Amino acid sequence: MSTVEVTGLTVRHRRTVALDAVALGFGTGVHGLLGPNGAGKTSLIRVLATVAAPAEGRVELLGRDVSGHRERAEVRRRLGYLPQEFGYYPGFTVREFISYVAWLKEMAAESVPGAVERAVERVGLADRIDAKVKTLSGGMVRRVGIAQAIVNEPDLLLLDEPTAGLDPEQRVEFRALLMELGTASTVIVSTHLVEDVAAACAEVTLIESGRVAYRGTTAELTALGEDSLEESAGNAIERGYTAALRAHRALAGAGR
Amino acid sequence: MTGSDGEAAAPTGRMLYARSRGIPVALAVLAATAGLAVWAAYGLDAYLDPKRRVPVVALAPLLASAVISTSFHQYADELDRTAVRPWWPRRLAHLLALTALAAASLSLAVLGHTTEFGAPAMVRNTLGAVGIATASAALIGARLSWLPTFAYLSAIYLGAPGVHGGWAAVWAWPMQPGQQPAAWATAGAAYVAGAALYAWRGSRREGP
Repeated sequence: MSTVEVTGLTVRHRRTVALDAVALGFGTGVHGLLGPNGAGKTSLIRVLATVAAPAEGRVELLGRDVSGHRERAEVRRRLGYLPQEFGYYPGFTVREFISYVAWLKEMAAESVPGAVERAVERVGLADRIDAKVKTLSGGMVRRVGIAQAIVNEPDLLLLDEPTAGLDPEQRVEFRALLMELGTASTVIVSTHLVEDVAAACAEVTLIESGRVAYRGTTAELTALGEDSLEESAGNAIERGYTAALRAHRALAGAGR
Repeated sequence: MTGSDGEAAAPTGRMLYARSRGIPVALAVLAATAGLAVWAAYGLDAYLDPKRRVPVVALAPLLASAVISTSFHQYADELDRTAVRPWWPRRLAHLLALTALAAASLSLAVLGHTTEFGAPAMVRNTLGAVGIATASAALIGARLSWLPTFAYLSAIYLGAPGVHGGWAAVWAWPMQPGQQPAAWATAGAAYVAGAALYAWRGSRREGP
């Protein structure tokens, strides 16, 4: 059953069409959203996070149409979102910053301290919980971002470039966390790092120029790479990504 | 699991909201502005001649409006947009509380002479200056929101120090005596427009 269902989704930035009548559905599990820079991944994530409104189309999250204020508010309680770039309040400690986000999500006040500590522990920052965010390294700040996104144990988790700035060990730990979260929630990870998708995602959606270029399982995309005749560098899933992208471009070119 | 022993008490949401907008610092700067206004009013012997209060009545609200409108800056705008509750009641409460505090504290500098440049003129000018700065925060962002108010009030103060009545009461409202209805109407309209714009849109998105 789909927890995310979008139909005819069109997003425009002034005269540019970022998403063009996209129709997609996502269910429980970890889904990778791949595509070149400027393909429309962030636009899709922002609409799903309810921070941007589409120009056209219907967005149904967790069984609710989010065009209505009451439904949108209800969905936001059960939503986690890590933006590509998130600012943080300079004077806040990690604990305060995540408590602030918990307050935005209207979590019950008595549950917040425990939830904040759990979230921080899950991203491996328990020993820095009372440190000011501004004193942390870039990778640690990213982990704070992940912690704020999971503080309410969301049913729908949207992560935009979550591994940017993480070192290899942290990325391995993060993928394990993703898989754990994906057992009960719908997790959508937008990234340009194909290896993150290969390691953590069950399904892949490839976006190109505002359209869905490919959908399938990670195994299918890998198989596409193994079948690829191109002798380029890179592993099977990277070749699969390239092959799917080029096939879509060829089809789009032929259709013009 | 992280223990809670010895850690600070859990912060409340409202406290965190206030700190996220730098409200404690804004309160301290507003208090300092009021102190400066009192000091300047006495330094100018304004209690002898109310007309000597004009610089204080015109310029103190400018400082207060800058403090208030820059407190609207959101460092985590993208996350703030995911809030469950609509923002407009919080924005209005934030604006109204700081405006009331600024108007009340600045008025202490100009007690008496209510028909000329006394507390009513200070309240009116505070409303007008905050209105322009608040509208600017919604249109150009909180960080530079003081700039249009600074430009306008400085130009009026330097260019039209003794102009009263007629259309001047509308465009040179900060320089009018406290009971000039047209000046009140202009300043009030600026405040209502700024408050409505900010409550509806929030401050314009800016970089980190």
